[in-house]
Amino acid sequence: MKRKVKDLINNMNLAKVRFWIQLVSFILFVYGGYFAVDLGSKLPIFACPYNAQSGGACYLMPLQHQLAMPAKILLGGAGIAVLFGVLTFLFWFIFLNKAWCGYVCPFGTFQDWLTALRKSLGIRYSTYTQQQFEKLSKIKYIFLAIVLMVPLLIGVGVLGGEWSSAFCQICPARIISPMFSGDFSQWAIDFSTKTAMVLTAIGMIFAGLFLAGSFVKKRFFCFFCPMSALHFIFARSSIVKLRKEGSKCTRCGDCYSVCDMQIKDIADDVTSTDILRDDCILCLKCVAACPEDDALHFDILNLKAFSSTRQGFEKRMGIEKPKGDRDE
Amino acid sequence: MSNRLNREIETPAEKQNRHKAMEAITVLNTLKESFKEPPKAMGYFYDLFEEVYCHQKALHSDKVKVGTMCIQIPSEIIYALDGVPIRLCNGFYTDDEIGSDLLPQKSCPLVKASVGHLASKNITDRPDMIYSPTTCDQKTKAGSTIEGFGYDVVDVDFPRTKESEISREFFRRSIRGFSADLSAKTGKKLSRKKLRASISKIGYAQSLYHQLSELRKSSAVPILGNDMFLVTNAFFFDRIDSWIEATEALVEELEQRAKEKVHAAGRVSPRIVYTGSPPIFPNYKIPLIIEESDAIIVADETCSSNRMFNDRVAVDEWFVNDMIDSLADKYLKACTCPVFTKNDDRIRRIIELVKSHNADGVIYQAFAGCTVYELEQRSVLEAMEKEGISILYIESDYSPSQHGQLSTRVEAFVESLKIKNRKRR
Ligand code: SF4
Ligand code: SF4
Ligand code: SF4
Ligand code: SF4
Ligand code: SF4
Repeated sequence: MKRKVKDLINNMNLAKVRFWIQLVSFILFVYGGYFAVDLGSKLPIFACPYNAQSGGACYLMPLQHQLAMPAKILLGGAGIAVLFGVLTFLFWFIFLNKAWCGYVCPFGTFQDWLTALRKSLGIRYSTYTQQQFEKLSKIKYIFLAIVLMVPLLIGVGVLGGEWSSAFCQICPARIISPMFSGDFSQWAIDFSTKTAMVLTAIGMIFAGLFLAGSFVKKRFFCFFCPMSALHFIFARSSIVKLRKEGSKCTRCGDCYSVCDMQIKDIADDVTSTDILRDDCILCLKCVAACPEDDALHFDILNLKAFSSTRQGFEKRMGIEKPKGDRDE
Repeated sequence: MSNRLNREIETPAEKQNRHKAMEAITVLNTLKESFKEPPKAMGYFYDLFEEVYCHQKALHSDKVKVGTMCIQIPSEIIYALDGVPIRLCNGFYTDDEIGSDLLPQKSCPLVKASVGHLASKNITDRPDMIYSPTTCDQKTKAGSTIEGFGYDVVDVDFPRTKESEISREFFRRSIRGFSADLSAKTGKKLSRKKLRASISKIGYAQSLYHQLSELRKSSAVPILGNDMFLVTNAFFFDRIDSWIEATEALVEELEQRAKEKVHAAGRVSPRIVYTGSPPIFPNYKIPLIIEESDAIIVADETCSSNRMFNDRVAVDEWFVNDMIDSLADKYLKACTCPVFTKNDDRIRRIIELVKSHNADGVIYQAFAGCTVYELEQRSVLEAMEKEGISILYIESDYSPSQHGQLSTRVEAFVESLKIKNRKRR
């Protein structure tokens, strides 16, 4: 019985399962407001509260507000609320970690849909070269620094109030997410101050880049996402793990070639057992594409929840007994 | 009298064929007769080799025949362009001798035999063109020699470092070039549908091989290693659909045998992982000595068998270019050929095979003259020692002469494994 359930999971059509989970999550987080769903504002995903109907919200906005509070307030009564917020936020990291990105984040899902659109038009994706990749994937830490440092600088009075939520100003999700409920009001430059003008203009550029980029490049934005960097910082303490058994790996590169995030180590590193890298979105496509039994597996609480298997591989790749047209 | 007359009018080509038929039939008869009863489904393969090598039966007269010098040319692409891949690696001593006049004395017998075979012009399924990946120096240089016999030989650039991203890009481009070239020559367009179908078909052939390997892991091994080499070697030249059908029958029969716990060897026969220069029909010299010495080959790490079938292609978006790139990756990244700068993957693979197939020892054969295998045997030996795995290194060639000396060494090794096993028990 246990074996059967295991086989069922390992042989599943991951792409389909993922599509449905993403769709349901998308509806929940983008349109949750219509159904009075509120999953709080401490979520580790880009469910942007600028979209009035969102069913839960990205934590980066409250985080920036809280960090910007003057130290007096932060250490006073507000401190407990802040602490509670951080703890909730941490809980989410430990709970699903990057699987939030692969399965839940509406902004990630939207990118996957743009990919699907491109695919249906018969256009091939583009990739970065390894050098570009290495440089670009550092940008998310710069964004993370903006998320964390700017509010602190406001708090100590170095920067003025017009810098508040600086990252949100440039975040493409602020502009794009409201569009899902028909609200295009964010497509505008805020001329109230010079800073706001520059920041919102950058935001517009990023939004444009996001749309064009995600069309040609799989998960274009996730390379730059500061949330992804935060996820990675807490990945070690998560209950979910992406693991690799190097002795079973033939370094065939199958996992690498299907990885939307171009993670080279997933194929080439045969010594790390914890194979989660900072760009990973835990989509598990690599596990699904690996033809070696148990070479890659997704663990929950140290138990193998989804493993690579030969059989599962064959099913997913459509490998089957050739029918008809025997060419003799 | 009439017999002698016949002899007198025998042409050189006929003489060669007679010699080759003798070589072939000796091996086939040994396999059929000297061991426990072979699986019935092996009959297909025995007949196939007999027809092709003793009766010179052509199998592909109606198709474009694409000769390949090594395993790194994706057969998926060839099939998708309506061609048949024919791997030109050759195992005949008769051809080795012909090649000896054309290549340096110390060259690898496999290369000599392959060149000799093409030089003789005595070929049943003559390739219409040849693709030569630039793997080992000798294969690479052989390409230009073969060109001199009037063949259209195209070099397919193959990198010697496989870890780097540059190599990966390089080989992807190289395989794109190969498919464009073949497509131009055959006048066919590489379509998405056809390529996907052929990836699926080869994948299915691989899955059959994997099923066979799985059966060889159990304590009762239902098939000899030599028979397995025959099955995998048949893939070099057979009609793919017939091969698939025959191998399906074999899988089915072996599953039955496994249920009945039929063991192809003796009860205490040591289990061997075979590695090194590839056994190519009919040069099963060392594998035969091994199994005649009461050991059984349960797995191998050679380009004529395990390496050819093991690694599989995964594609994310089924566009022609994505498929080509994935194919290139599979043929490069997973390859454990000793031509590469580093050898860790091969060592890891051998260790993994020893563990998964519960083997007692490794036999590493290098053809005299094969520098790459000779060069790296030391590192493999050291790695095995570290793991506590017994290993025997042998150098051999295609000549039937050293039989006595080689069998003494192999027998001694097998004996030592038995003693070890007894002690363990
Ligand atoms: S990395 Fe991508 S999926 Fe994850 S939170 Fe950022 S945008 Fe969403
Ligand atoms: S704008 Fe971006 S960072 Fe700010 S709350 Fe929305 S999704 Fe989060
Ligand atoms: S797909 Fe599996 S076997 Fe291939 S490189 Fe990745 S982990 Fe290794
Ligand atoms: S490494 Fe695997 S789980 Fe992570 S992004 Fe790549 S394919 Fe997805
Ligand atoms: S056996 Fe060695 S020399 Fe001969 S073709 Fe193979 S790698 Fe080259």
